[in-house]
Amino acid sequence: MPRAFYRWTRDLHLYVGLCASPFVLVYAASAILLNHAYPSPTARSLIFPRIVAIRVSDSDDGMSVARQVREQVGVRGEIGYVNRKPQGHTLSFPIETPGRLTSVKVDLAAGTATLMEQPTGLADATIYLHKMPGPHNVKIRGNWVFTRLWSWLADGTVYAILFLSVSGVYLWVVIRAARRYGLLFLGAGALSFAAIVIAIVA
Amino acid sequence: MTTMPSGDPDADDDAGIVPGESRTSAHAWNRKVHYYLGLYLLVFLWFFSISGLVLNHSSWEVAQFWRHREEATTQHAIRIPEVTGDVAMAMDLMRQLGIVGEPGEIKRSADTQRFEIQVVKPGHVYRVVARMDSARAAVTEIQINAWGVMDALHKFTGVSREDRERTRDWVLTSIWSLAMDALAAGMVALVGTGLYLWYRLKAKRVAGIIALTLGIACCMFFLFGLGILLA
Repeated sequence: MPRAFYRWTRDLHLYVGLCASPFVLVYAASAILLNHAYPSPTARSLIFPRIVAIRVSDSDDGMSVARQVREQVGVRGEIGYVNRKPQGHTLSFPIETPGRLTSVKVDLAAGTATLMEQPTGLADATIYLHKMPGPHNVKIRGNWVFTRLWSWLADGTVYAILFLSVSGVYLWVVIRAARRYGLLFLGAGALSFAAIVIAIVA
Repeated sequence: MTTMPSGDPDADDDAGIVPGESRTSAHAWNRKVHYYLGLYLLVFLWFFSISGLVLNHSSWEVAQFWRHREEATTQHAIRIPEVTGDVAMAMDLMRQLGIVGEPGEIKRSADTQRFEIQVVKPGHVYRVVARMDSARAAVTEIQINAWGVMDALHKFTGVSREDRERTRDWVLTSIWSLAMDALAAGMVALVGTGLYLWYRLKAKRVAGIIALTLGIACCMFFLFGLGILLA
């Protein structure tokens, strides 16, 4: 029984680890980019505006208007936030996908939408995925099907990592010869984490 | 849990290793690095995994730390800093007011009489409004709970993508930032050693390729496929 349990755990550790490893690499690469303030796209690239005629039914709900505009201008992606002054005839919002940012400015009175599209590149795409869905704009987050899908994958990655670490600890504990050094490394890691956090927070 | 007949339960799996290769030193080293590095990074990894999960679920009760913050404002007499640069002035005022942390946003009024700093130390946010004409400073201290500390540490880099001139001005920010880099590099090493250990197990190759391809396909779809699909 213990041997069967060991083999099952080891195989699951292997296959879950293999499946999760590309996600881990995406998070690791983007963490380094974020940690070194990789420049945001607005600071890096040129923007060429495009004006599109639109016809939308006005509403107090800016998100509803933004959804109609997104549909009519033919740009797909996640609406980031909607900026509209009360009773104003203009609103602006970004439409984001990994690797592309489209800033949209809508003039409801004129019936036009000005689009500024810019490719943001692979590095920015990893950063975008790292931060999605994130803590901001909760009420509107997930207004694009692929953002919802990614948010499930992001959660799945965390659960996979937790499973991998717990199963990894079990697989290590079973190997008697590795216990002593393992304990030293585990202790050293826990100690260095605690030391840094206490120094920062205290 | 530890009733295995031998010290190394993988010892009887040598048959699965690539023919002609026994347990070489490269294999042994990869295994050791995979185990020991994983164990060293375990607590860091749990910390960033759980804080990341909470960040992605801001409707959870534990994520409502800002609503439960404690805020207090106090008034202090200050000595007008003799230095002129924004960061130097901020550091001088922080020393006088006994505030430690990473100075973030710094604002100065057009007449230079009003000077504002926001200092972040995970668990605390200090907002300082100093008046040079009256040599007084109002310090608002905001305290957040342990979940707020986790949230702040997850993002505590001391730099900003939007404000590229911001630098790390607190030594502990630099140490934490280094720890984050080390964790990211360590994860890459864990993936690399894990791939090596899997590749040597001939019996597990097919199922492994399926699992790996599934993961790669999902990531590639989001990184490249969506762009092609939407073009």
